[in-house]
This record gives sequence, structure tokens and C-alpha cells, in this order.
Amino acid sequence: MTPLPLPAPDPLPLPMAPAALKALLLLTFTLHLMAVNLGVGGSVITALHALRGTPRDRDLVRRIAPMLPSAVTFAITLGVAPLLFLQLTYGPFFYTASVLTAVPWLAMIFLLMAGYTLLYRFTGSAGSERLHAASGIAGALLLLAVGLMLVNVTTLSLRPDLWAAHAAASPHGLRMNTADPTLWPRYLHMAAGILAVAGLLLAGWGAWRDHAFARMAGLRWFIGATASQAAWGTWLLVKQPKPVLDLLLDGMSAPSLTLWLGVACGALALFMAIPASQEGSSARAVWGPFGLGLASTLGMIVLRDQARDASLAAFGFHPGALPHRTDWLSLGVFGLTFLGLAVLLIAVLRWAAQPIPATPDAE
Amino acid sequence: MNHPVWDIPFLGSGWIIGIISIIHVSIAHLVVGAGIWLAWLEGRAQVGGDRVLSGWLRQRTRALLWLSSIFGAGTGVGIWVAIGLVNPTATQHLIRGFVMGWAIEWLLFAGEMATLIVLVRAYDRLRPRQRLAVYWLYALCAWLSLVVINGIVTFMLSPGQGWTTTHAMWDGFFNATYLPSLLLRTLVSLALGGLWALAAGAVADADLRPRILQPTAWFTLAGVLLAPLAGWYYFRSFPPAARELVLGNLQGATGLAQGFRWALWGLGAFLVPALLAAWARVSPASFRRPAALVGLLLACWGFGGFEWIREVARKPYVIRDVMYSNGIRVDEVEAYQREGFLARNAWARTFAASKGDTDLARGEALVRSQCLACHTREGYRSLKALTAANAPEDNGIFVQGLRGLDPAMNPYLDRMPPFAGTDEEAELAGKYLASLKGK
Repeated sequence: MTPLPLPAPDPLPLPMAPAALKALLLLTFTLHLMAVNLGVGGSVITALHALRGTPRDRDLVRRIAPMLPSAVTFAITLGVAPLLFLQLTYGPFFYTASVLTAVPWLAMIFLLMAGYTLLYRFTGSAGSERLHAASGIAGALLLLAVGLMLVNVTTLSLRPDLWAAHAAASPHGLRMNTADPTLWPRYLHMAAGILAVAGLLLAGWGAWRDHAFARMAGLRWFIGATASQAAWGTWLLVKQPKPVLDLLLDGMSAPSLTLWLGVACGALALFMAIPASQEGSSARAVWGPFGLGLASTLGMIVLRDQARDASLAAFGFHPGALPHRTDWLSLGVFGLTFLGLAVLLIAVLRWAAQPIPATPDAE
Repeated sequence: MNHPVWDIPFLGSGWIIGIISIIHVSIAHLVVGAGIWLAWLEGRAQVGGDRVLSGWLRQRTRALLWLSSIFGAGTGVGIWVAIGLVNPTATQHLIRGFVMGWAIEWLLFAGEMATLIVLVRAYDRLRPRQRLAVYWLYALCAWLSLVVINGIVTFMLSPGQGWTTTHAMWDGFFNATYLPSLLLRTLVSLALGGLWALAAGAVADADLRPRILQPTAWFTLAGVLLAPLAGWYYFRSFPPAARELVLGNLQGATGLAQGFRWALWGLGAFLVPALLAAWARVSPASFRRPAALVGLLLACWGFGGFEWIREVARKPYVIRDVMYSNGIRVDEVEAYQREGFLARNAWARTFAASKGDTDLARGEALVRSQCLACHTREGYRSLKALTAANAPEDNGIFVQGLRGLDPAMNPYLDRMPPFAGTDEEAELAGKYLASLKGK
């Protein structure tokens, strides 16, 4: 059997322990994903409500749309950090996969900028009589396509056994990872998850701001998207490579327990959301599915990482075994920058939350 | 190259980075300068009690958010994606060596975005002094992100003996070209930000226009006139070999002369906006937006030309004295020449195997791995054109000559990596180059 073309690791050691890098990767990825849920999922939801265009829909769009560009800004900004930590630990796999599917990967940038521009056009029209719903729909679709490009590289990075054939068939990096049976179910699973959490965030906002329509609409989006996971989630599970599938179904290992706990939280949230989404239900009924839904999402983030390590272990890669030399000085500078910036930004955010002064420019 | 090669016919992979970089570098510097300009002019407006000017500046924050959050952030991630595709081995090395630097830069960018969003969305809630403080905090975050990224960019040109011995991030960060480059970039930021501001101010109401254009013209002039001096100071700080390479190219010593001509015209064009700024200062009523926009394009061209010269000055390295532009580390060459590139490089072997593992396939694998970072087969820096005059057997001899590690024996060593393979592999690469003639 021909050995797999795994690139040699970089000779420089990691700047901190692999476990610390893993924790940072998971933390920053969670923050990124929450901003994505709000920005991208929120864009899909508001664009579709704008398209339906009843007075209640238009009111919802007017209230929600102004938050979306900032959410996408933070989705991009917060996405840089996990990508950095990912490249640090999983570099040989990530870079190889990205080069093999270079054109779709680079196209992600242009899809992102085009989608974001259209989103600005849509949200800019939210306060006017003439809503640009078509811009909203097109922008949301482009942002969802960015997700497809990310899933494309991610799935290919986990399958070194597919690399040689992929490279031979696509020397210019044009082809997507369609030879991998997990590509489409993973994408649909992710897209449905984004919509589900965006629905939950909308419902939570509705309960907080006493906006009954937002609460009910959000929960209905959550219910629809989560119910569809029965199809996408199952499809993704059964298409996992055998060593990973065996691990997930053994009922004993940490990944298996994470999977079933996450599914249980999601299912329970779904069943609690159904009565809470009816007319006349209490605003407090939102918080049960809200908490359980977010717990399920956190479980899926951890599971995603466990499945990645299980996939790569089959090719002899163990991130915990990577050599490291802790760079305390740089960590200290990072920590001080973080603290200094946090203190200043907290002060700025407190100013931003003040009531508007009665006379403009009052001291 | 330790990874697979992204083979882009005709254009070549370097131009992918080049095109995205020109856009990003222009936007990134413009945003830094515009941030400083906003805070400075808001301060002047508050001191003079000029509420109309403050209100006008408020509108500029929206434009700046739009520009930096969509195109600044998009192309910034774009450069990262592009360098990872074109030279993944070097990108991984830079990420490993400077991850905390990138992380600090990321924090500052997040601060930049957060303060700008507060200015756009909560402007009415801020008291004037608070507003001014947020403007300055935004400008500081934007400039500090330049301070950090400057350390990594200059490291690639002049990593210094300290880093090559210790591999400690700060030894590489504060390198010989760090301060001159920071000075130049700050001044270029003032020039680009000022020109952007002149373009915006040129369409303001007639009574407001002088209050915008006249101070902004000084701001712009400072950047445009001082940047060339800082550029010369920066050039003087280049490592001697890099300076010699640039001067040699200026004298037409290599095939890069055409590129240098464009870059030099650009450097000349950089000074034209000084005249435009003077116009805005002297006669704000007659100043027109297209003039400012043309000035902005000329300044971007000039700065782009300087960046191109800086990139060329790094040749034949991507990280001077550490890694060649084809992703092969300097300390790997000897082993490749002794044991063979194909024996030690999984992706070159994989490529050759995919084409039947013939001599020609192995030759192509070697050329892809070692040459396509800078050349194309028949487009930009065409291998076919460069070897057209050679007899078939001469190509192998030529590549064997490129194995030389002594500059006296290998005259290309100052601008092209040595061939990292055995004599037999040089022969295979030569065979492939000869085969291009018939294609």
C-alpha cells in the first residue's frame, strides 16, 4: 500500500501546551459560531420574513435587521481566532486540504464580501417603506455558501486517504470534496443548526423585550430546523468513516456520551418548544428550550472536535503529542493587551448604554 | 514545498497574493490614517464648538465601518487564505513562530471594530468628551494593529541573527527594518486617509467645505511629503544583499526590469497628490472629488510599487536566510541534494505517481514543487520562454548548475533558490523543461 502524502510537521514547537490550544480553539470557535448563528441565521430569517411582508413581519424585520451587520462583523472577526488555532495544531491537514480545493476556498472571500454588501443593502432598507427583500435573500444565500466552502475544506482535511485521488483529478484546485459522502449531510446539519440557534436567539430576544411575535416566530424556526436534524444528523452519522462511527455508537466512549447527551438536550428542547410556541403561551416558557438548545449546541461543538481527533487518529495524528515550548513573554503581552482592551471597551460600552441626553452635546 | 502545489496557469500563484494584497494594504493603511484624521478633526470641531462639522464627521464613521468591515476584513482574511494556498509551508512557519503576534493583532482588530460600531450605533448616547475618547481609542487600535503586523512583515525581510538562533518571537519581531517600516507605513496611512477625507470633503456643503478641506490638506501633505523620506530611510535599513538586489534590478540586471519601471513610475506618482492637497488648501471652493480620487489611486500605485520592491528585495527567500520562496527551508537543501527531493517529499512523489511515474512525470513533479512559486509554464515569468533558446540537453546542465550553493559558481543564487535535488533529478527537471518546447 502506498503511504499517504502527509506533509512533514513544521520544525518550530507550539507556543503553548496542546491542551491549552485546544481549549482556546473550542472557546473562540464557540464565540464565532454564536455570532454566525445570529448574523447568518438571523439574515435568513429576517429576509424570509421581509419577503412574506405582513405588518407583523415588517415590524420584526425593522427591529432585528439593524443588529445583523454588526453580528456578521463579529462573526468574521471572531472567526479569525479559531482558524489561527486550527492552523497551529492541525496545519498539515488544513493546508493540504485547502490547496487541493483552492478555488472554492478562495471563492469564500468573494462570496463573503458580496453577501455582506447585499446584507448592508437589505438592512439599510429596513427602516424605509420599500424593503429590499431580494437583496436580503441573495445576501443570506451567499453567506450560507461561505459555510459550504468551510465545510468543503474541513471534510477534506479529515480524509488524507482521498487526497491523492483528489489531487490527480484536480491539479488546479477547482474541484470540491464531493467524493466524500459526509460533505452534503455535514453542510445541511450545520445550516439547520445555524437556523435553529438563530430561532432560539430570536425567541430569547422576544421574551426579553416582550415581543410576542418574535418569541413565537423564533421558536417555530427552532422547531422546524431542529426537527429536520432527524434527517441531516442521521445522514451525517451513518456516513462517518467506520472507526469514527463505531466510536460514536459504542455508548461508552466520551464522544459517544457527548453525542447522545447533545441529541437528548436537542430533543427535549424541541418538545418543550412546541407548546411554548403557541399563541398565548407565557414568555417564561422560552427559557427551557433556550437553555437546552444552547446546551445541545455546545455538546455538538465538543463532539465535532472529538470526531476530528478520532478521524485523524486513524492516520496516526495525535494533537496532544505535538512538541511545545511555552512562550510566557508573548502570553503575558497578549494577556495585558486583552485586559487593557477589555477595561477600555467595558467603559465604552457603559457609555454606549447611557440614556440619550435631553440636550444634544450636553457634558 | 512540503505541501501540494496550487498550479495556476498563465497568471501564476504570486499574482493571486499580489492582487488581493494591493487592495487590502491600501484599505488597511487608509483606515488607519482615516481613524487618526477623524479623531484629530473631531477634537478641532469640539474645541471650536463646530457642531455642523461634528455631525458631518459622524457620517464618515458609517463609511469607514462599511469599508473596513466588508472590504478591509474580507481582503485581510483573503491575504491569509491566499498565502496559505500559494505558500502553505511558509504560512505555517509564520503562524507557528508568531501566533501570539497574530492573536494580539486580532484583539486590536476586534477593538477597532467594536469602537467603530459604538460610534455608528450609539453616537447619540455619547457625551462629546466620551465621543472624542472613543474616536481616539478607535484610531489607537487601528494604528496598533499596524504596529503588530509590521513586526511580522519586516521579519520576513530581515529576521536577524537573534531569531535564527533563539526562534523567540520578540527577537524576530523587533528586527532591523521594524522602525523604519513603521514610520513609512504610518506616514502612508496619513496620506491615504487624508486623500480619502479630501474626496469626502469635496462634496460637503459650500460653507462647511473649507473647514474640512483646509486642515485635511495639511494632514495629507504631511503624509505625502514625509513618506518618501521615510521610504528612503527604510530602504537604507534593508539587509545589504537586499539593497544590492534592488539596485542591480534597477540597472536591468535581471528580467524584472519592467516591473521595476512600473514601481518607479508609481513612486513618482505618489508625489502628485501633494499638488492636489495644495489645491484643496488654497482653493477649497474649486476643489473637486475626482481630483482627490485620482490622487488616492496614484498614492496607492506608489505605495504598491514600494511594496513590490520590498517583496522583490526578499528574493530568493520568502523569509530571508530561513526559507526560500518555494517553501524549502535553507537547512533542508543539503539533505535534498544528497538524498533526493523525490525520496523526501511526499507530495512530489504523489504527483509523479499520478502521472505514471515516468521520467517526464518526475521531472514535472520537481518543477512544480520548486519553480511554480514564481514561474508559470507559459505565462507570467514563463519557463517555456526562458528556456526557449536552450538545446534540449542544455536544460539538464542548466538545472545542475542551479544546484550550486556558492555564488561564484551559481550566478542566480542571489535571486533564485538553489535546485534542491540530486544531479539525476536535475537531469529529470531539465527533461521536463525541454518538453515544454513542443507543447
